[in-house]
Amino acid sequence: MNDTGAVLPADSDSGPTSMASAGEAPQEPREPVLSARNLVRGYRMGEQTLEVLAGTHVDLYAGESVAIMGRSGSGKSTLLHSLGLLDRPDSGSLVVHGVETTTLTRSARARLRNKRIGYVFQFYHLIPELSALDNALLPRRIEVGPLRWIGKQKEMREHARALLDELGLSTRMAHKPSQLSGGERQRVAIARALMSEPTLLLCDEPTGNLDERTSEVIADLLFQVSVERSHTLVLVTHDSDLAARADRRFQLHEGKLEAFGA
Amino acid sequence: MYRLHLASRYTFARPVSYLAMVAIGLAVMALIVVLSIMNGFLEETRSFLRGTTADIVVFPHQARYAYSRDVLEGAVAEHPDVASACARLVRPGIFKVHGRPPVFHGNSLSASQHQVLVLGVDAKSEIKSTDFAEYLDRVENPEFRVADPSDPFDLPVEDIREREFLYTQSPTVLISEEMMRGLLLQRGDALTIVTVPDSALQLDGAPVRPASQTFLVTGAYNTGHYSHDQANVYMSTEDFRSWSGTQHEVSELYVAVSPAADLSVVRDELDAKLRSIGLAGQVETWEDRHRVWLGAVENERNILLVIFLFFLLLVCTITFSVLTMMVQQKVRDIGILSAMGAPAGGVGAVFAVCGIYIATLGGLFGLVSGVALAANINKVKDALENLLGIEIFKKEIYAFSEIPVALDHTLNIAIAGVTVVGAVLICMMPAFRAARMDPVEALRHE
Repeated sequence: MNDTGAVLPADSDSGPTSMASAGEAPQEPREPVLSARNLVRGYRMGEQTLEVLAGTHVDLYAGESVAIMGRSGSGKSTLLHSLGLLDRPDSGSLVVHGVETTTLTRSARARLRNKRIGYVFQFYHLIPELSALDNALLPRRIEVGPLRWIGKQKEMREHARALLDELGLSTRMAHKPSQLSGGERQRVAIARALMSEPTLLLCDEPTGNLDERTSEVIADLLFQVSVERSHTLVLVTHDSDLAARADRRFQLHEGKLEAFGA
Repeated sequence: MYRLHLASRYTFARPVSYLAMVAIGLAVMALIVVLSIMNGFLEETRSFLRGTTADIVVFPHQARYAYSRDVLEGAVAEHPDVASACARLVRPGIFKVHGRPPVFHGNSLSASQHQVLVLGVDAKSEIKSTDFAEYLDRVENPEFRVADPSDPFDLPVEDIREREFLYTQSPTVLISEEMMRGLLLQRGDALTIVTVPDSALQLDGAPVRPASQTFLVTGAYNTGHYSHDQANVYMSTEDFRSWSGTQHEVSELYVAVSPAADLSVVRDELDAKLRSIGLAGQVETWEDRHRVWLGAVENERNILLVIFLFFLLLVCTITFSVLTMMVQQKVRDIGILSAMGAPAGGVGAVFAVCGIYIATLGGLFGLVSGVALAANINKVKDALENLLGIEIFKKEIYAFSEIPVALDHTLNIAIAGVTVVGAVLICMMPAFRAARMDPVEALRHE
């Protein structure tokens, strides 16, 4: 355990890494938005199994920001994918909004991901054939069926336009990703992540592909929307300056999360 | 909603999708055109064979009986389903044209000798039992038309050419429009037809003298079938008997049957009836008589249906390749869609819909262009012939003056439908692969 009291190895029974354990204990006990217990995830490499997550614990609360750092190949993205229900851990428990997700079917996890989780990737991952507006609308298109879409189309488009406008893209809505700069693409990706009004915003190296100035703008934007909308912001990053702005910081080391910094 | 939206964006943003649609369309079009021509060929052949043959033909056993035409016609006419009957005399002959430059044409043995089958007919009975009147009416060149279609072997004196007045009392003959055009003949021209008389068939060692007579051309007929028109000349039964010296009155009896009657039943009943009165012969429906021809055409159509399976395979391969390529190019998008919460089935459906778009639009394109091309195939043929300066459709080979086409819309829709369904089904394989893709692996895909 370090000076924040946040080191929680897999076999620890001292409870999960949480806001409380980071030394800023809430006045009243709160239900975590996401609670991971003893997550294990390994990959078979021939005869050997490489254990990337080796019993990871973490609790994430509404409105907080968390930075996860670690060496390349330490398993940060694997952890993020597991927390975001894209990947299923080999063992352990992962509860999102009170629902144990490790036993859910693939489609049930997809539904939960669509409604509760927003992703922002290092390389933006926009659909090249769609305009900025259509990229931002994608999660809502996935959420609603064709009939509901016809009824709600106008409202949803207005919502997407407002979001893009808020992120400074009012003049770029009809542009395809190839016609946008890196910073603009990342803002479209943020708009897309926010479109479903998720409670968890998972960002995988969100500034990793941007210049310093644009990185600052994007980072400001992420923290701003997180505070304004009470999203839980999880940042996987190599950028210590970005990590320093988070409420809590963790290092992923040998498959386990270790809290560091005040 | 995202399935249709994304599928349309994926499909219409890629030139390869259009290429696939065109390829599917061309395959469907080619098949529709070829099957329409084959159907047209079959229909025309049937119509021609039926028109020139009548419903039922009775072939008397000439070697055993010298049939009386009246007796035979009378016996056949007693059947309640027989509408009319006409006797024909048939004999091969060779003719030579007078006063015209030698021309090699059609069934010519040499530039001055032309081989034909001579048909001795009673015009009035023939008109009642076959499409003879229609063949007289179909003649395109007015100068070749007979003076009186109800009596086609009558040649008015004013139509006899000056140099042919030598033959004013000669019998007359009706030849095809194609033959008149090819041999540069006109009405009133004279030609001499030679045949082997019945006496030559006695094989008694006596020297054989050919039967020969000069005829005047009264005009032309046109069945529209090159092979028939190149090979047949008509004359009256009286002139035929006088020319050939035959004692027979009937070589073939052509029988027209009421439309509602079953030809096979009438054939069997006529056969039994003729046998019962001692007039045994061979009785055949027009289909029996031309079974080899019809069978060959029918068989070719069946072969085309087998070829259709290969076309279908080709279409499926094209669609499968395009879809597989699309899935391969869109691996990262599959990861993105999964990250946005699209279920595996939804991801797969995006690509399945792409396949449906490609197959349906390709099939529709093929259906429309195939029907349009088949309906205008002769105009296209003429335009190509003019453009390229080559003869694409040789009527001497195909026996038709135009490419025959019969559009069967049910069959055409079935061809397009089966192709589309086949292509859509094959699309399910790459779509299924997309659905099963690991989203994390997909996001990491370079």
